[in-house]
Amino acid sequence: MEQKKHWQSFGELNNSEAFNAEVQNEFKEELPFVEDESTLEKGGSFLQAKAPRRDFLKYLGFSTAAAAVAASCEMPIKKAIPFANKPEDLVPGISDYYATTYVQDGDVISVLAKVRDGRPIKLEGNDLSPLTNGGTSARVQAAVLDLYDTARLRFPLMSGKEASFENIDKAIAAELNGAAVIVTSSITSPSTKAVIAQFLAKHPGSKHVTYDAVSHSSMLLANEACYGKRVLPSYQFDKAKAVVSLSADFLGTWLNPVEFAKQYATGKKLNEKTPAMSKHVHFETVASLTGSNADQKYTCRPSEIGAIAAGLLSAVKGQPITGINDVKLKEGIAVAADALIGNKNAALVVAGSNDVNVQIIVNAINDAIGANGNTINFGVTVNYRQGIDSDFATVVDDMNAGKINTVLFYGANPVYSWPQADKVKSGLAKVKTSISFNAKLDETTALCKYVLPAPHFLESWGDAEPAAGYYTFLQPTISPLFKTRPFEDSLLKWSGDATDFTTYLKNEWSRKLGSETAWNKTLQAGVLNPTSVPTAGASLNGAAVANALAVVAASKPNTTIELALYQKIGIGAGQGASNPWLQELPDPVTRATWDNYIIVSPSMARTLLNIDLNNAGQADDYEVHPPKKVVKLTVDGKSIELPVLIIPGTHPQTVGIALGYGRAEAVGKAVIGTGKNAFPLACIENGTVHFNCTNVTLSVTGETYPVALTQTHFRYDTAQGTRTEVVKEITLAEYKKNPTEILEEREAETKPYGGLEKYEAQGTIYPVYERPGIKWGMSVDLNSCNGCGACVVACNAENNVAVVGKPEVLRGHEMHWLRIDKYFSGDMDNPNVVFQPLMCQHCDNAPCENVCPVAATNHSSEGLNQMTYNRCIGTRYCANNCPFKVRRFNWSDYSGADSFPDNQEGIVNDVVINMSDDLTRMVLNPDVTVRSRGVIEKCSFCVQRLQEGKLKAKKDSRPFEDGDIKVACQQSCPTNAISFGNANDKHSAITKVRVENPNRSFYVLEQLHVLPNVTYLAKVRNSDEHEAAHEASNEKEAEKKA
Amino acid sequence: MHIKYESQLREPLVYGEKTFHQVTEDILRPIESKPSRLWYVGFFISVCLLMFGVYSVYREVTYGIGQWNLNKTIGWGWDITNFVWWVGIGHAGTLISAILLLFRQGWRTGVNRAAEAMTIFAVMCAGQFPIFHMGRVWLAFFIMPYPNSRGPLWVNFNSPLLWDVFAISTYFTVSLLFWYSGLIPDLATVRDRAFTKLRKKLYGITAFGWTGSTKHWQRHESLSLVLAGLSTPLVLSVHTIVSFDFATSVIPGWHTTIFPPYFVAGAIFSGFAMVQTLMLVVRKVFGLQDYITVGHIEMMNKVIVLTGSIVGIAYLTELFMGWYSQNKYEGYTFWYSRAYLFSPYGWSYWGMMACNVLSPQIFWSKKMRRNLFVTFFMSIIVNIGMWFERFVIIVTSLYRDYLPSSWSVYYSPSIYEIGFYMGTFGLFFTCFFLFAKYFPVIAVAEIKYVLKRSGESYKTGMEKLEAQPLDNFIHDNAHH
Repeated sequence: MEQKKHWQSFGELNNSEAFNAEVQNEFKEELPFVEDESTLEKGGSFLQAKAPRRDFLKYLGFSTAAAAVAASCEMPIKKAIPFANKPEDLVPGISDYYATTYVQDGDVISVLAKVRDGRPIKLEGNDLSPLTNGGTSARVQAAVLDLYDTARLRFPLMSGKEASFENIDKAIAAELNGAAVIVTSSITSPSTKAVIAQFLAKHPGSKHVTYDAVSHSSMLLANEACYGKRVLPSYQFDKAKAVVSLSADFLGTWLNPVEFAKQYATGKKLNEKTPAMSKHVHFETVASLTGSNADQKYTCRPSEIGAIAAGLLSAVKGQPITGINDVKLKEGIAVAADALIGNKNAALVVAGSNDVNVQIIVNAINDAIGANGNTINFGVTVNYRQGIDSDFATVVDDMNAGKINTVLFYGANPVYSWPQADKVKSGLAKVKTSISFNAKLDETTALCKYVLPAPHFLESWGDAEPAAGYYTFLQPTISPLFKTRPFEDSLLKWSGDATDFTTYLKNEWSRKLGSETAWNKTLQAGVLNPTSVPTAGASLNGAAVANALAVVAASKPNTTIELALYQKIGIGAGQGASNPWLQELPDPVTRATWDNYIIVSPSMARTLLNIDLNNAGQADDYEVHPPKKVVKLTVDGKSIELPVLIIPGTHPQTVGIALGYGRAEAVGKAVIGTGKNAFPLACIENGTVHFNCTNVTLSVTGETYPVALTQTHFRYDTAQGTRTEVVKEITLAEYKKNPTEILEEREAETKPYGGLEKYEAQGTIYPVYERPGIKWGMSVDLNSCNGCGACVVACNAENNVAVVGKPEVLRGHEMHWLRIDKYFSGDMDNPNVVFQPLMCQHCDNAPCENVCPVAATNHSSEGLNQMTYNRCIGTRYCANNCPFKVRRFNWSDYSGADSFPDNQEGIVNDVVINMSDDLTRMVLNPDVTVRSRGVIEKCSFCVQRLQEGKLKAKKDSRPFEDGDIKVACQQSCPTNAISFGNANDKHSAITKVRVENPNRSFYVLEQLHVLPNVTYLAKVRNSDEHEAAHEASNEKEAEKKA
Repeated sequence: MHIKYESQLREPLVYGEKTFHQVTEDILRPIESKPSRLWYVGFFISVCLLMFGVYSVYREVTYGIGQWNLNKTIGWGWDITNFVWWVGIGHAGTLISAILLLFRQGWRTGVNRAAEAMTIFAVMCAGQFPIFHMGRVWLAFFIMPYPNSRGPLWVNFNSPLLWDVFAISTYFTVSLLFWYSGLIPDLATVRDRAFTKLRKKLYGITAFGWTGSTKHWQRHESLSLVLAGLSTPLVLSVHTIVSFDFATSVIPGWHTTIFPPYFVAGAIFSGFAMVQTLMLVVRKVFGLQDYITVGHIEMMNKVIVLTGSIVGIAYLTELFMGWYSQNKYEGYTFWYSRAYLFSPYGWSYWGMMACNVLSPQIFWSKKMRRNLFVTFFMSIIVNIGMWFERFVIIVTSLYRDYLPSSWSVYYSPSIYEIGFYMGTFGLFFTCFFLFAKYFPVIAVAEIKYVLKRSGESYKTGMEKLEAQPLDNFIHDNAHH
């Protein structure tokens, strides 16, 4: 065969020179650097080939220079200007604390204002006040934000135009002749009262009328009828072993809840060795905070309260109960009566009704059970509420009749909160000279001719006497931000007195106390307490009771749907509505923010809305979709359309609406689009405002309205088992029977890993670390916690937690570091409720820490799970892997701290933008980083306070002690439910709590072996009924095992 | 008696009587001719989608992750769902090129080029999500373990997210090298056939000076083998590590030891489905039916029914364990949040079951496996199902985890979440259209290699030999 030539290229075919050269070179390796082959050919090495290296250096030089130029773009410079003359005693970075007093209408709480570089940034309770003993409320905590409210009036107004105080004084001097009416909210200040008296004396025929939006006039009148004194006694829940509340929300909004919560909690603290608790029986119309805390509660109609009171009176007297047909209610009355009789002289009944007759009967019950003089002290009367509704009704009539020429409003806002607001408006139009002293242009102020901006309490001098003999003082912590003038200054001026109120106060108290030094000293303490507390009872007028009983017995039982108007703990009667912190504080009962709504019971939801919460599918559907059905509620010709929330624990035929919403836009950005005003639904009967109505009709409109809930699911039992690892509750009876039940449950949970003892070591494949030195720990007593939310707002204030606004809460973007979870158990129509404050658990084996790719969250040597914001890139893996879901992500630029300019507009709502206004930002705590968009944040155990406390100890050359710090939530808590400290210290409070409560302590989700540093003390309920949920789950599990 | 040189059982890998030249002509036609109107339309749509994606990402970077509907409970939603989905799709290419190369599966040659390209584009798309799901993407470089002046501050080597970074970047690099090294001979062919100077220049650069010399081929073959060896473990490791994002967590529904094999099977499943989708279109549009044959399609359908059944078993195992463990949290996630049809996301679980487990079973029928319409439809269904799988795993586990208090409201994506996802489709198809226009979608050189052993021309070439009696063959061979 002929050898055929195969070729791959023409080069090969033609045997060209180039081809041959290539063949030659095919397997020759050449170094790629060499550009000029001649170097090599000349026998040089490639190292001598200089061109590539030079090029390399050239490129390097150029790119470095380019990068440097690009990177050095100018950044905006913000200048901090130091003091030219440093004020004495002011050390930058060190906070000063001034004793002052939170005063809003009749509410009085002694506080310490934390002042940092000349601006108050936080309020803490004043331990020296025996009334509140350092406790605060959500509204106290939020009050500091009101100081920096951009909606505050900045100058006086005359007929809507800016004017100077001098001009207004002149104009008023000309107009002020004859009688004037001063309408104020309850005034607790003796000095203010004296100033008013001086003014009244100067202007004969004038009068002072106290107007409370939600008054206690029935109690005042009832006490007048029964005891001949129009006063409110002081209540002592701490002395009461049995408390019966006829829908009085004394832990939330009734008189002084901070004081009562403190007292009440003492009866709920459980000593494990000698277990005993007070018993609280509650009659509930619409689910309330206080009812949620009751040991036993019964639902009733608002109209039944009178009959229940009468029944209870009969029962405590050993007579048969009449007028009550409902079996459960009858049982409830019997239970309540048993508790009251069993604890004679240590029992207390309170009622929230504004019906004089009910209050008279309650007085009679208290008399019968020996409360009078024991748990009720007429020796110390309280001044929280002084208004009598009928007095103001007269003023309204007089205004309309043209009898009043001059009216002065101070703290009263009847145009908003009087049920017949139209009459107030029309009356006001007939008044020649209307004057308002107010921080904001609220509904009433807007209609007044003269508006004199009032200073915030943190800018004011003053005093207050919340209870007879207990004084607390106000001193300014910042010079007035705006052109404001105290109400008292104006009155003094218009009375022809040249002294200003500051001098007046100083003189008055120096005189009373004996010297100016004594006054200064008292001012420093902030409070002046009586040396001995007088106790006194009062003798009951039997005729009044008989009369009241007759009226109650005559009233026919009602079968229509009823409405109960109530106040929320944050918003109150509207005072908190303009405060973004309070608007965003989830209501403890409904866990809703930024709105009011109609509360209905699950059973009414079944018939009215076709939603059955016992049907998993329907319950899911209701829970996971924020838009709720809107219902039109009509009563007495007035109607309101609001979304509906289904809240178990509400009477089947009663609906509830919160007051305080639907404020005028001028009071602040926070009120825009939030809720509707329910005051017009209230009715006036016999001169008293009743916040209950009968004959309510409800109709579903077919529309929906989104309600921003921060918690949507409230049951911890599922078809797959009850999640008792989440929250533990037990009854006192069960506890007494078997004190170690909870311990045994924990033991069983950890049994696969050798039980509790060996759990830490055997629950993991990793070595166990020694944790010497400080180890921070917290304990929360679920028995003491009543869910009031003071800690939540305190945390906001302390840690610069951003407000995100309603649209963001709707999307589950709220930023709260501390939240109060609420769980139901048992019968869904009248369930048991547990509140569980939940913050970062600072796990020793934290699941968030090992998943962060950049180690932005890690463990400190003191057991803190710490967040390094600078390092965080925002993968959110930690938040996903947190079993407690306490990590919060900055979804948008909530704080205005972003490096991207102008990215709030159109993204977050006006409230949030307003929070980064220069004025509002003054409230920020400089010790805490303001987080920017895109990073995770969470509870730090107030690490800034821990550092401060440790430094304090270090400066004193001693080891850190318990008293050096209190974390913000712990400090604000009125019931001392939170203990905090060094768990490695045998003598610390936290160790003490843990050692003393071995049977009640538990860790949330202990079985996960994340080793939290927060212990909870199980909720113990003083009721005989078995813990239904618990029982059911145990049964179910037993069944499964069988 | 006669000898048969061609397999009687196997289908030919290339249809028709093709010469080497014919192969080159066929495959390079799209590159050397003007694109069709259809190409322009497709490309335009892809670019539009890409722009939508770019805008969505711009919104998210400028205004924050709040542009998406994630919340305090659901920290990951569409973002990570899409990430895992795209990574899964990016599995078929390397599997085809590496594992099938090692197993000497000749049929891979018809589809490996496009599948590898698909892999690279899919991994590019996947990579967008972990990058842009970061709250502060401008600091993304923090996840690189580079020497720094911050302490030095290192990354957290315990974090599965960091393992992801390494796994995916390695996978991407190796896949890219593999793909490109395979392209070099073909690019040289395009260069040699270039009809404009610019083409010559550009393809010349990309061909890296390939001359077709023996040495080049030798190196090329060794490199392919080395890269195949490197890629093979990667095929298994990448999705294993992606599954660790979930498996190493404490969340019920995530904390599952079955995840690694289940994720790998799922990835191959979805990858093959995507290859089917693309190949069916490509062979039709570019007229390459002879090279991407029904036989190829059938082969891949077999892989689909196999891997689909594997994931099916995994789903059932999970459900079984949800009950058998008697863990109330797991039980709730598997039996309520997922398997209960009327729970808020029950539909997604059953959608997943229907798409991934039930529907691929039709491929037990040969008729169905060879039906192009059914295949195309199923390839889409499978990818929808696999998207649901990731959504189910991520969202139904997160939205109701341990504490009932933190259970989430219903999560549905915002327009920008959808936009981001659409944007990655845009990116994927833009890349794929450009690839199809400028690169040979089938490995020309490799087809020619296959042609020597299979196909019509091989058959005719061998007819003469086959006609010879067996004795001749023995005689001829015995001679040697």
